[in-house]
Amino acid sequence: MEQSNRSLLNSWVQRFGALALVAFAVVCASPAQALPLFARQTGMACLTCHTVYPELTHFGRMFKLNGYQLDNGKDIQVTNDEGKQLVALPAVPNLALFVMVGDVQLAKPIPDSNVAGAHSFGNGGLELPQQLSLLYGGKIAPHFGAFAQVTYDFAADTFNIDNTDFRFANTVVLANKTPFAYGVSINNNPTIEDPWNTTPAFGFPYVPPEISVPSVAGPIINAGTAYEVAGPVGYILWNEQFYAALGFYHHAQNGSNSPGNPILGEGGPVDSSSSNVIDGWNPYWRVAYEYDFDSFTFMVGGYGADFKIFPGGGNALTGATNEYKDVAGDFQVQFIGENNSATLKGTYVRENQTLNATGPAGLGTTNATDWVSYLSTDFTYWYKRKYGLTAGYVSTHGSTDKLLYDASGPFTSPNNPALAVGVVNSANGDPTTNAWIGELMYAPWLNVKVVLQYTHYTMFNGASSNYDGVGRNASDNDTTYLLMWFAL
Amino acid sequence: MKTTKLTVLAIAASAALFSMSAARAQDAAPEVSPADAAWAENMAVTKCQWCHGPQGHSISPIYPALAGQKAWYIVEQLQLFKAQTRADPYARGYMWGMAAQLTDTQMNALAAYFSKQTPFGGQKVPFQNAADVSHGKSVYTEGVAANGVAPCSACHQDDASGNDQFPRLAGQHASYLQKQLRAFHSGSREQVVMNGIVATLQEPEMEAVAAYLESLH
Repeated sequence: MEQSNRSLLNSWVQRFGALALVAFAVVCASPAQALPLFARQTGMACLTCHTVYPELTHFGRMFKLNGYQLDNGKDIQVTNDEGKQLVALPAVPNLALFVMVGDVQLAKPIPDSNVAGAHSFGNGGLELPQQLSLLYGGKIAPHFGAFAQVTYDFAADTFNIDNTDFRFANTVVLANKTPFAYGVSINNNPTIEDPWNTTPAFGFPYVPPEISVPSVAGPIINAGTAYEVAGPVGYILWNEQFYAALGFYHHAQNGSNSPGNPILGEGGPVDSSSSNVIDGWNPYWRVAYEYDFDSFTFMVGGYGADFKIFPGGGNALTGATNEYKDVAGDFQVQFIGENNSATLKGTYVRENQTLNATGPAGLGTTNATDWVSYLSTDFTYWYKRKYGLTAGYVSTHGSTDKLLYDASGPFTSPNNPALAVGVVNSANGDPTTNAWIGELMYAPWLNVKVVLQYTHYTMFNGASSNYDGVGRNASDNDTTYLLMWFAL
Repeated sequence: MKTTKLTVLAIAASAALFSMSAARAQDAAPEVSPADAAWAENMAVTKCQWCHGPQGHSISPIYPALAGQKAWYIVEQLQLFKAQTRADPYARGYMWGMAAQLTDTQMNALAAYFSKQTPFGGQKVPFQNAADVSHGKSVYTEGVAANGVAPCSACHQDDASGNDQFPRLAGQHASYLQKQLRAFHSGSREQVVMNGIVATLQEPEMEAVAAYLESLH
């Protein structure tokens, strides 16, 4: 039994590590691109919808919430004998290509996964492309629009389904001459339907380095279920000011995250071979209020989720679940002038975890309940939408949980279980991670952006020095990251 | 100097005649059917409002207020956007796309809708410089004799409300007006009258006259 628990523990830690890596990759894979396809469709320049991509302007937010509908080109239209329109299809498909090239340097190399005392080759890596995405976006038919993305990821060396948002939207004029928009987005990433850049799907940091050390904890709404769930989110927008959304997500795991059903082969309903399977339909909500004054827009809002998850991974997908309840607040102040634009924004998420599946049994967690919080705030300034800088701060806190964050000691290499490499665990079981992020940006064209980013950790996984019990310090995980974005 | 001033006035007068002839066909308020009027109101509230604000009262000074603007002027500008001949940067970036699919009937209906909205009046303008307003009033009503700039009021009316040949300026956002004056100055927005009028207008005077016109909010 002890052996079995031990292996379950290891598998849980590995799963958690894998989950963290997946979550991180997901964050990396979440750029809300300034899509040339939208520019092609609307005949408008990128600056209509974006300050500089991916940040949306008021116009961009309205365009998104109205179902990507503005149309500049010719439609192929067919009507029946009664004159009823059967199709209004854009004559040219709205496609775009999105390429990111990244070069990352860690402050200190990580240990070799096979040879004791050796280190990784180099401190980071060059990825060409870090990501390459093929996108379809825009109008499908009157009131129906889409934003769908297939991405090649360098680290995974595969093409995957990325952000996918199909939506219906309509706007009516109320008796007092105010607009009232409503719609439904069917998507695969909680918060992707949201039009502000404070929520996780399109929030700061927009594209973190893919080669980096993932911190050990984070609330589940921070991309923890992205691309492994799907569901409808209904929303309303009153007078371009008050926004409310309510959605429900169901598990929809694919690829390596869902090995499928071993009895039927690749397809079929998931069973305990899968990990972290959401139980039933789980709610997500969002409210926001925007006030526009002169060149400023102010937004305050909140969002949250309540996800119940079976750990799986060899345990039957029945009985108790781990429940993750997230409540978050966010704000954004955006200034858009003729030559200068600046944005101050932030979000704070608090997650309460009720670990009924793992806690009482000691299956991977010490406590029956845990909590995690996440703070992200940043200030960005652009001059003539060409030269920009960002200063940001991100901070994760949480309850100490030795088993969850440190298992039975420093993380051992999957390639050499005798080798305690550390790096991704927290020796004291405290998940606290604080980092400052600075960026210098240059956008020679509206669809070409170069970002030089530096991330400095003052604390990582609960300590500033020797956080993993193997001698690694928080600042060893600092990254210098050069990113080039091309959208065409 | 006197000769220069007279020359400018002569240009202005001849250009005004040109403009009048161009505008004559649109002097009468466009005929708009109830169905087209309903379409225009729906379009204005559900789309135009994203930038131009509720009932044409734009909030961000990047975008011009349209409430109370002369219908003929709105139609003319929409036609120029559609033909892609008004080529100042914001016209290219925003309005070329927006106007591309509008029919003449739709343009007339939108123009009629916005022209009937109550223009800005009596509201406090944020971030206004009193010295600029005072200087701007003299530029608007008296011109700049030293540089041979004719008074704006000669064409745009004393209260800047415009008429059948010249657009309304009163209450317009100052930064939008400055942007247009610069575009006329550089030639990126071609308009024969204004290209001539602002040829010798200096940047501080552009700022001042724009502030004054916005103060008529």
